[in-house]
Amino acid sequence: MPEDTSERMSRRNYLRFAGAASAVALAGCAGEDVEDFDDDDDGLDGDDGTDTGNGDDGDEDNHLHIAQTQNPTTLDPHDHRETTTDNVLLQAYEFHFERDLDGNLVEGLVTDWEILDEERYWIEIREDVPFHSGEDLLPSDSAFSINRVVDADVGNLQSPQSDQLAGVTGAEVADDGHAVVLHTDGPNPMTFANLGSYCPVVQEDWIMDREAEEVAADINGTGPYQLEEFVDGEHTDFTRFADYWGGEASIETLRIDASEEASTRINSLRAGEIDIATAVPPTDAGAIEGDDDTYIADAPSTRILMLPMRYDVEPFDSQEFRQAMNYAVDFDSIIDNVLSGFGDATAQPTLEGYFGHNPDLDPYPYDPERAEELVEESGHAGVEIELHVPAGRYLQSDEIAQACVGYIDDLDNVNCEINMRDFGELAGQLLDGDITSTPPFFLIGWGNTTFDAQNNLLPWLTGGTSQYTFVDDELEELILDARTEVDEDTREQLMMDACARAHDLAVFVFLNREYLIYGLNQRVQWDPTPDEYTRAYEMSLQ
Amino acid sequence: MSQYQFLIRRGLQGLLVVWGVVTLVFLLRFMTPGSPVDFVAPLDASPELRAQIARNLGLDQPIYVQYAQYLGGLIQGDMGYSYIRGRPASGIIVSRIPATLELAVAATVVAIICSIPLGVLSATRRHQPTDYAATTFSLVGISTPNFWLGIMLIMVVSVGLGILPTSRRPIGLIPAIELLIFQFETVGIRAWIAHMILPAVTLGTYFTAMIVRLTRSGMLDQLGQPYVEAARAKGLPETLVTYKHALRNTMIPIITVLGLQLGSLIGGAVITEFVFNWPGLGTLIIDAIRVRDWPIIQGALIVIGIGFVVINIVVDALYARLNPRVSLE
Repeated sequence: MPEDTSERMSRRNYLRFAGAASAVALAGCAGEDVEDFDDDDDGLDGDDGTDTGNGDDGDEDNHLHIAQTQNPTTLDPHDHRETTTDNVLLQAYEFHFERDLDGNLVEGLVTDWEILDEERYWIEIREDVPFHSGEDLLPSDSAFSINRVVDADVGNLQSPQSDQLAGVTGAEVADDGHAVVLHTDGPNPMTFANLGSYCPVVQEDWIMDREAEEVAADINGTGPYQLEEFVDGEHTDFTRFADYWGGEASIETLRIDASEEASTRINSLRAGEIDIATAVPPTDAGAIEGDDDTYIADAPSTRILMLPMRYDVEPFDSQEFRQAMNYAVDFDSIIDNVLSGFGDATAQPTLEGYFGHNPDLDPYPYDPERAEELVEESGHAGVEIELHVPAGRYLQSDEIAQACVGYIDDLDNVNCEINMRDFGELAGQLLDGDITSTPPFFLIGWGNTTFDAQNNLLPWLTGGTSQYTFVDDELEELILDARTEVDEDTREQLMMDACARAHDLAVFVFLNREYLIYGLNQRVQWDPTPDEYTRAYEMSLQ
Repeated sequence: MSQYQFLIRRGLQGLLVVWGVVTLVFLLRFMTPGSPVDFVAPLDASPELRAQIARNLGLDQPIYVQYAQYLGGLIQGDMGYSYIRGRPASGIIVSRIPATLELAVAATVVAIICSIPLGVLSATRRHQPTDYAATTFSLVGISTPNFWLGIMLIMVVSVGLGILPTSRRPIGLIPAIELLIFQFETVGIRAWIAHMILPAVTLGTYFTAMIVRLTRSGMLDQLGQPYVEAARAKGLPETLVTYKHALRNTMIPIITVLGLQLGSLIGGAVITEFVFNWPGLGTLIIDAIRVRDWPIIQGALIVIGIGFVVINIVVDALYARLNPRVSLE
């Protein structure tokens, strides 16, 4: 059927106009002011946003945008256990102590400290430190913060962080000076170290004057940034705190939000929408390095990956067999090929730079022949074993586990298979305090931000903890002696000896120290630290 | 049967379905390995602390007690407290509904705008290049996973061409409209549109492809009907025959599918929201599953289930109205 020419022309014109209009609309939608709008605070963008209204929008050139893997679940610094929540809160809250780049304790809100006796620990609180509310930090605020964590009857909270100050029974304002005395249930050399990694300082009156839900949605700390806006599940905005006791921050405004999907974070970075992407998979590091506007920065983390082996079941009750498992794995190759070089092989349960780390120990070399000999000597040749792995839990851990299983299975006299498990289910078996329900051979990652080997050794290698997998009388004695030894040199030697003993006993297949990999916009100047926190105060913009 | 009787009957049936969903979702927790305590408690928590946490979460009660408490709470709009956030789950879930609805509706609009003209063109130009292009698009659209399509669109359109933002929802639709109406500011609505385009295209592609096929087959069927020949014989322009007569009859099944698919889109938005960091129910569910935050998981699934039921009832009612040959009986 012949078509009407005028109608065809008309339709063409219509489509042409429609196309042009769409292009204009698209360009209009994606204009510069729209890009600016993304990070602006107009107080309208949250369905349930809490706009505290303190501070202005700031200069866009002096604005930093960080995308991490999770948004904070609460703004109450004592009511969570997530590093991602800490990463947001520690822009505004502070621990009692600070740490230098090597992880050593240095002055912070505490200016002096001393062990009074085995059960009393004294800390002097810095004077003239204002909270964001304008009131000064008092020793009573410090004592309240500690008591709120360790005592369920203080501060309207049963804190899930109570074990982080293990051994501390309470704190009170000292009789003289601007100081606090902590009480412990016995000698506790970790007391000060724990205050450098846990228990942010809050203001007593501010907490007690508010309902729990208000504390969970607002911030009043002493840190370099104050809360501008918190939109649950979307973003947290900060402005720098002009009266910060350590000096005003270089970067004026800060937004932290989250994209769980790594490719979304990386694409946002490459598109120039964010300045820092955390938790970059090693496989994506090349794409970021290859982009002129972005670069990779990395730091060794406080997390160690390991394959614990239960000492009370065959074949792992044999020292020869456990050592064979260590000799069987070519970990240098795994670091190169699976982790793209972002990892360090380990030789002991703790990490380099930690108090108690033994520098004389080297990782087990890759020697499959020696491994097969040791398996023969153990009397378990031909054994079938299974590695339980929490699926997708740590950086490339599935791939690392598969590679380890492949190496062990390549031994002529051992068959090894992998069992991918749900983390919750596996954790339930590990933590129920009953070693008989723990899988004989499994992968786990263990984080310890205290920079002290005790928190690596004690939970896994002394009987009676909720997750121990190995007990050796000599090793246990060393660890327990170190736990109550307050002389630093003696304690360090005890833990170094314990690490050497753990190496010889091959209590784990020692895997790698995880690396923190960040993608950064070229304008951001920052050296990442091992504690997994992206503190904007430590950064500057070009 | 009157319309009211029909609605009451379907409403009661819907309640039964919702009760089934609630029960199934509740039991899901007990079929899933691992305890929420494993996620809430620190890795080095003592057995005593774990038991205390279980007590605090009410997990130490027998299943039937937990079920009765949960049902009782739901009737009063109480979905429990989020294990992780420590706040009422209902408030958290409700705050995420607008984002998901916006995305689902936008994807539907994209699908309607693209699919129906494409389907009509494909049918009226059968075995011509336009038809082949439309059917190829339809095949590819149905076969392409949302997850992959979303990432590819971000890489090409956002990272490569720099035309649209990669992700996020900087402003909701209602605040954007408020900004436009009360402050005569267009930046909000433009930001909303710019951030909505890629997620809506990603979510709507499968839907578009499906409606193209449906429209094409429906149109082919209608174009062969005697009434179409009669219209042509009367001398009506072909455009009028196609769009006024044939398409109108084709629209009846399409509208039904559109309605039902809107419900599917709300559920299917999970992956799209995840890829585009869209703060809706989908990302909330994924976050909650990761940490076994069961009050959130259960509440969000129930809300989606209720959405399905309501949309089904509305579509059934509309269908009878659109097509008088269909009885409410």
